[in-house]
Amino acid sequence: MALLELDGLTRRFGGIVAVDEVTMRVAAGEVRAVIGPNGAGKSTLFNLITGVTKPTSGTVRFDDHALTGLSAYSVCQRGVSRTFQITALFPEMTARENVRLSAQARHARRWQPWGGGAVFADAETRADAALERLGLTQVAHRPAGLLSHGDQRLLEVAMALSQQPRLLLLDEPTQGLSVEETEQAVDTLSTLLADGAMTVLLVEHDMEVVFRLAHMITVLHRGSVIADGTPEEVRSSEDVQRAYLGGLA
Amino acid sequence: MTAIKRNSLILLAVCVLALAPTGLPPYAMTLLTEALILGLFAMSLDLMVGYTRLLSFGHAAAYGLGAYAAGNLLLHTSIPLVFAVLLAALFSGIVAIGIAWVCTLASGVSFSMLTLAFAQLLYAVAFKWTAATGASDGLAGIPRSAGPFGITVFAGRAGFYYLVLACLVAAFIFCRSLVQSPFGAVLRGIRENEAKTLSLGYNTRRYKIAVVAVSFMLGGLAGALYAPFAGFTNTELLFWLFSGQVLIMVIVGGAGTLIGPIIGAAFFMLVSNLLSSWTDSWALFFGAIFILFVLFAPQGIWGLATRWRSLSSTG
Repeated sequence: MALLELDGLTRRFGGIVAVDEVTMRVAAGEVRAVIGPNGAGKSTLFNLITGVTKPTSGTVRFDDHALTGLSAYSVCQRGVSRTFQITALFPEMTARENVRLSAQARHARRWQPWGGGAVFADAETRADAALERLGLTQVAHRPAGLLSHGDQRLLEVAMALSQQPRLLLLDEPTQGLSVEETEQAVDTLSTLLADGAMTVLLVEHDMEVVFRLAHMITVLHRGSVIADGTPEEVRSSEDVQRAYLGGLA
Repeated sequence: MTAIKRNSLILLAVCVLALAPTGLPPYAMTLLTEALILGLFAMSLDLMVGYTRLLSFGHAAAYGLGAYAAGNLLLHTSIPLVFAVLLAALFSGIVAIGIAWVCTLASGVSFSMLTLAFAQLLYAVAFKWTAATGASDGLAGIPRSAGPFGITVFAGRAGFYYLVLACLVAAFIFCRSLVQSPFGAVLRGIRENEAKTLSLGYNTRRYKIAVVAVSFMLGGLAGALYAPFAGFTNTELLFWLFSGQVLIMVIVGGAGTLIGPIIGAAFFMLVSNLLSSWTDSWALFFGAIFILFVLFAPQGIWGLATRWRSLSSTG
């Protein structure tokens, strides 16, 4: 049984159908990329899964429980962590405080209005582990707003990772990075995903990044799924060539 | 400035304040008591404005609720002063849950407008509901009831001052513990990026309602102390002008520092007293001071002081 199941997921904005009857499965341990040209509905799809946007129709199931209609914080509490296409951080806090606040969300006493030494200590342990996995230990003490763009992208991944999510959603992790920064970020991410312990859904524009990281690819075009398969299958699909890859080949 | 230095400075300030009744003339004591009440009020607003970036234009509602509740309890029941004040604060906090539930449906400027609307609504109610508020006459002759066990120490000028000082110190310790707790860390998250905080799994609306309730409870405590301090309440306590003044105290003192707004309140009291003895249009001059702070020292008096201290200590 798949970890994440989308069935007939549809979202209309006025007359525009941003996401049109999308049916998709993500198996546990899989790294799946969602690709498609601008406006294909990739980000809307992410927002539908994470409860930011409510679907017009269709369902989202996670680990055989309905996520449809839940608010963003409940979706996260069920083990789905995400990053944003446009970097979303706490700029005045240090990198470590950013990850600590993220890890704290997994603690039963995250809301405790006094003391909290034990809550913080636990969150800090997880934060430091996540920072180390992404190679950010050196910059952990710096305010997040002052980090390089590349480190900010990775910091967001560290924040999501510190929550030990069962499903990780990465929205264009290399967005806005230089060629060198992208290279580094993809190296870090592929090391991270190498052990196959994590289930990942990835939106990405950069085809090289997709073919290096993903086991499976879903291609969206104007809100609909036009192809679904291994990178080789997708690469050879004529529909995909026409809709998307054509310009690159 | 290190934490130890800051703590010893605060401790020193409390000691000086505790000794004040031995050396100050009655008129100055009255002013100082009112300054501490306003300091408590401004500090309560700082939880919202400074720590959560919830800009309230209606914080007078908290003060008025506390003041009228305490006034009624002291006038119509025999509940001792201390308990009446605490009950009134609690009442203000509970009412705030309802107000915050509605206001947090919106955010940003709309949130601010809703807080203003609620305060003005209460202002209008206070004008009409003669039985509870005395309408435009207000409540007069509010006593400083004795007890428990017949204690009358809080009825005198110095005794009441110590009650106010104790409330302020206790509220400060409470607020500081709150902002340094896991709950406080989430508030900082909401302040810097609410959408991100939500996506990390925090029910941000519930945190905002909670902080508004605590803020109103402490603001209500200040109002509840004011009623027996002045011996009367009137609708001015709920007026939007007062909401604006307390916001100015927070910003001039230094938002997000707890101490700053207390200093801001004292500064406001001092300057408005000095200016008003000199000119009737003192508000105009205070407005100019406010503008200068916003333009050149947005971190406020306490922010300037701490920066100056750290500069001078590093040479």
